[in-house]
Amino acid sequence: MKRTLTTCPYCGTGCMFYLLVDDKDTLVGIEPSSEHVTAKGQLCVKGWNAHHFVNHPDRLTTPLIRKNGILEEVGWDEALDLVVSKLKQAQSAGGKDSAMFVSSAKTTNEENYLMMKLARAVFKTNNIDHCARLCHSSTVIGLMETLGSGAMTNSIDCMEKADCIFVTGPNTTEQHPLIGTRIIENVTKNGAKLIVADNRKIRLARLADIHVRWKNGTDVPFLNSIMNVIIAEGLEDNEFISKRTENYEELKIVVADYPPEKAAEICGITAQEIVDVARMFAAAKRAMIVYSMGITQHTHGVDNVKCCANLAMLTGNVGSPGTGVNPLRGQNNVQGACDMGALPNVFSGYQKVTDPDVRKKFEKAWRVRNLPGEIVHTVTTAINAAAEGSLKAMYIMGENPMMSDPDQNHVREALEKLDFLVVQDIFPTITSDYADVILPATTYAEKDGTFTSTERRVQRVSKAIEPINQSRPDWQILCDIAALAGYEGMKYDSVSDIMDEIASVTPIYGGISYERIDMIGLQWPCPDRNHPGTKILHVDKFSRGLGKFSPARYRPSVEMPDEEYPFVLSTGRSYFHFHSGTMTRRSQLLDREQRFPYVEISPQDAAEHAIAPGSWMYVATRRGEVKVKANVTDVAKKGVLFMPFHYKEGPANLLTINALDPVANIPEYKVCAAKIRKAQ
Amino acid sequence: MKVLVLTEQKLMEFLASARTAYDVRVPVSLHDGTRVIGRLGEGPLAIKGGAINQKITSIFFPHMETVLKCSNGGFESPEPAPKPMLVVGFTKQDADCLEFIDRFYNDKFRDDVYFNKRDNAVIVCVSGRCGANGKLLKVSGDNCDMELICDGQDYIVRAYTDVGKSLIEDIGSTEIVPEETLEQIEKESDQLCVEGLDLLNAASKLLLEDKVPDEFWQSISDRCIACTSCNLACPTCTCFDVFDRTNGCGIDRWRIWDSCQLDGFMREASGHNPMGQELIRTRRRIHHKLAADVTRWGHITCYQCGRCDNVCPTGIGIMSVCKEMVEKYG
Ligand code: SF4
Ligand code: SF4
Ligand code: SF4
Repeated sequence: MKRTLTTCPYCGTGCMFYLLVDDKDTLVGIEPSSEHVTAKGQLCVKGWNAHHFVNHPDRLTTPLIRKNGILEEVGWDEALDLVVSKLKQAQSAGGKDSAMFVSSAKTTNEENYLMMKLARAVFKTNNIDHCARLCHSSTVIGLMETLGSGAMTNSIDCMEKADCIFVTGPNTTEQHPLIGTRIIENVTKNGAKLIVADNRKIRLARLADIHVRWKNGTDVPFLNSIMNVIIAEGLEDNEFISKRTENYEELKIVVADYPPEKAAEICGITAQEIVDVARMFAAAKRAMIVYSMGITQHTHGVDNVKCCANLAMLTGNVGSPGTGVNPLRGQNNVQGACDMGALPNVFSGYQKVTDPDVRKKFEKAWRVRNLPGEIVHTVTTAINAAAEGSLKAMYIMGENPMMSDPDQNHVREALEKLDFLVVQDIFPTITSDYADVILPATTYAEKDGTFTSTERRVQRVSKAIEPINQSRPDWQILCDIAALAGYEGMKYDSVSDIMDEIASVTPIYGGISYERIDMIGLQWPCPDRNHPGTKILHVDKFSRGLGKFSPARYRPSVEMPDEEYPFVLSTGRSYFHFHSGTMTRRSQLLDREQRFPYVEISPQDAAEHAIAPGSWMYVATRRGEVKVKANVTDVAKKGVLFMPFHYKEGPANLLTINALDPVANIPEYKVCAAKIRKAQ
Repeated sequence: MKVLVLTEQKLMEFLASARTAYDVRVPVSLHDGTRVIGRLGEGPLAIKGGAINQKITSIFFPHMETVLKCSNGGFESPEPAPKPMLVVGFTKQDADCLEFIDRFYNDKFRDDVYFNKRDNAVIVCVSGRCGANGKLLKVSGDNCDMELICDGQDYIVRAYTDVGKSLIEDIGSTEIVPEETLEQIEKESDQLCVEGLDLLNAASKLLLEDKVPDEFWQSISDRCIACTSCNLACPTCTCFDVFDRTNGCGIDRWRIWDSCQLDGFMREASGHNPMGQELIRTRRRIHHKLAADVTRWGHITCYQCGRCDNVCPTGIGIMSVCKEMVEKYG
């Protein structure tokens, strides 16, 4: 038995644990780390089962090339040669920006850095993005504009220090379980106040002092109205506002238009609820906002995020323990993938590609010329471009857009139209069904690297077993492709050397090295080798200098319920499964817990449609129809349906709408119009 | 009084020499300081520090293991290990847990996979002045083969079984220890766990008399996130699920720790679930050990090892729940 300390591959909480390996190099269990800052000897059910999928017989074990429509096993050389020549071919026919590189929030920082380096330095395009587009792109933009940094302002242990926690849009006990439990403990043991603003009666709502079940998509009027009350009642923090912020007058003007009575009507709640929330939040010495997808995944996601930041600044709740604006990252390394510049507009450390000095710096470091300065595609617009035929080739590492992007039929059409698609993954997916080349990668257990958790903590991922069969770590595959494409600057002896390069070009990671994070990770910004890391951002000064109030006005969601489609459909994740289910559905206990696609429906709606609990039913939108089991529960509000997107046999994203936030390009996963019927 | 006393160095030498006959497992400190029962040399020896966080019975009932191999039309059970184990690091409470699951796995249907490892294994308890933060660990008495009673620095060695005694004979040398030292430790030790036992008994009585209403269980289950840690850490939790996995030439049947805190634990193929509500599952976790087992075995089957209270991220381990229950309804 061998034990290896590593970081959980599921949510962004970033628990570390030991992987247990038997004498046959098989993973046979997990032991929590009692010393880890976040885990403290504990884990959630996904963590306890995070070893299980690794040795699953479905693993992709050898490179595959589609020949005459059939996937055939080939050697690595043949597969990589084809990848390079096809990508080049697409680019020479349609221009550099006719190829898209999709990086992955599941892979390590080093791999994300290399994918972005490959796209920019070797293939000379800024067409590099990843699924943060689908979850927190609105955060990165909204918080950057208001606070100057798109990251969670505080640390996980601040959850225990707040006097009032305002949770809007995450289901923390299921999606970031060991963060959710900190909130529960603070509430039950220290008597902290808890406000939950969520349509669903999530677990935290049961323990909340106030639970507001407003209409999906009415976050802006709701938050504006809270601010309206705070200002009207003189509960704002004037000292903080005058010393630390700008543009306050503008905020006042906008929120003045949202008196509680008016907002209450838009939001479908009472004015008193708004007043109660405003008073409770403003009265707390240390009040914290915790948000997630419920805020971000809207066509007004950026506006929602800005409103959260406005509220925190208005009450002086930024820059101190137990406060802040805390977007929870849902994937192990979605924070890191953004930090590494797997985004079209920035290099690592959020250094803008449009800035010629920044480009020069990277040209020098990477020993290349003419790094591109134009921003063309995000993941979501790339799919649209492929469907229209202007994007020709895609290289997808560790993502499954057929399951995770909105409007599956549209995605299918896009993938089918591509001249060339390469998918690099650990298991076959319905996206890889459309691939011309499939490259078998390793899981987190077979490689070294780092993940950055939601609290900006850069932590080690350590190899516990040898790569299974012919699979290879993503970073090695990327380096080989770069070399085959004729680039000399992507050769590394170890992943630690890659981190050293990242540190040298990325100021916020400047002080990170494998030596320093051997046992406990460091929180960025960590600019130099002696810097202890940063627990709380914006302490004396915002990252942008002054905090900027950026008010927003209400824009309704794109597709509202009507007579034909009377329900609101919202989508997300469940506790036991993760994203497109490739890992959790291959883990015995997790799969057993939730084996069938389902929809959460309120008891009243189920009764009205004569739908029995646990029976099959159909949910349809203008995009299609899906058969799912009825999970009849008072978690769902009347008129609102919730579906997780894990099931390929009942894909929620066949139903969702491909409507994007105009700034962040994030899809509106949380609101579309739906109808239901009983299955016979 | 003449007893055998070992310094940590001498103890180390003894354990190293025991390796010829035994597969020796001891508390070690891993890379980040986490203490586990591991092999000698897996990390620095970490006997002091109290109960190990990991489910102590995982030594014989690991998280995941093969129970059958099927190939060429035949079945094979896993082979017994070549050497028996010698495991150091059980607390008195841990040894009580082990004693119970030995009985459990031997009752009616004998679990060969468990006893393959458990038979002939030597259990060495650790007690005395070496708990977490200098706390005293309860003296075991006789529910193990051998015991190391720490006086704050060295270990007084006592053997209870024949194997234990013969192992001690192999070490040989003995020293004089002031009688008070041992007497004092034993006297203080007698006071330990008494309050806890009273609490468990009081809670058990309330449950047997059906005096705890559903609303209590609802309020506890509201705080349970179904992480399964309480079951996965509990040395007397023995439930597992099975699954099959193909390997190159056949199929292996595995078992993996399961948890009664999961909805799927008892769900029937029909979809009907006798434990389909959170509050029922939460009640079951406590009720099983403090009431159902009393009816079946004649005693409660929580031995106050402390793990579920340590590992539960929302503070509803068995002791916390019993405290709340007895305060409210006792
Ligand atoms: S809380 Fe998140 S990081 Fe921790 S064990 Fe669970 S899934 Fe893994
Ligand atoms: S204290 Fe908890 S973990 Fe220990 S035996 Fe009792 S129920 Fe099990
Ligand atoms: S450890 Fe606590 S939260 Fe986890 S399943 Fe057990 S009681 Fe529930």
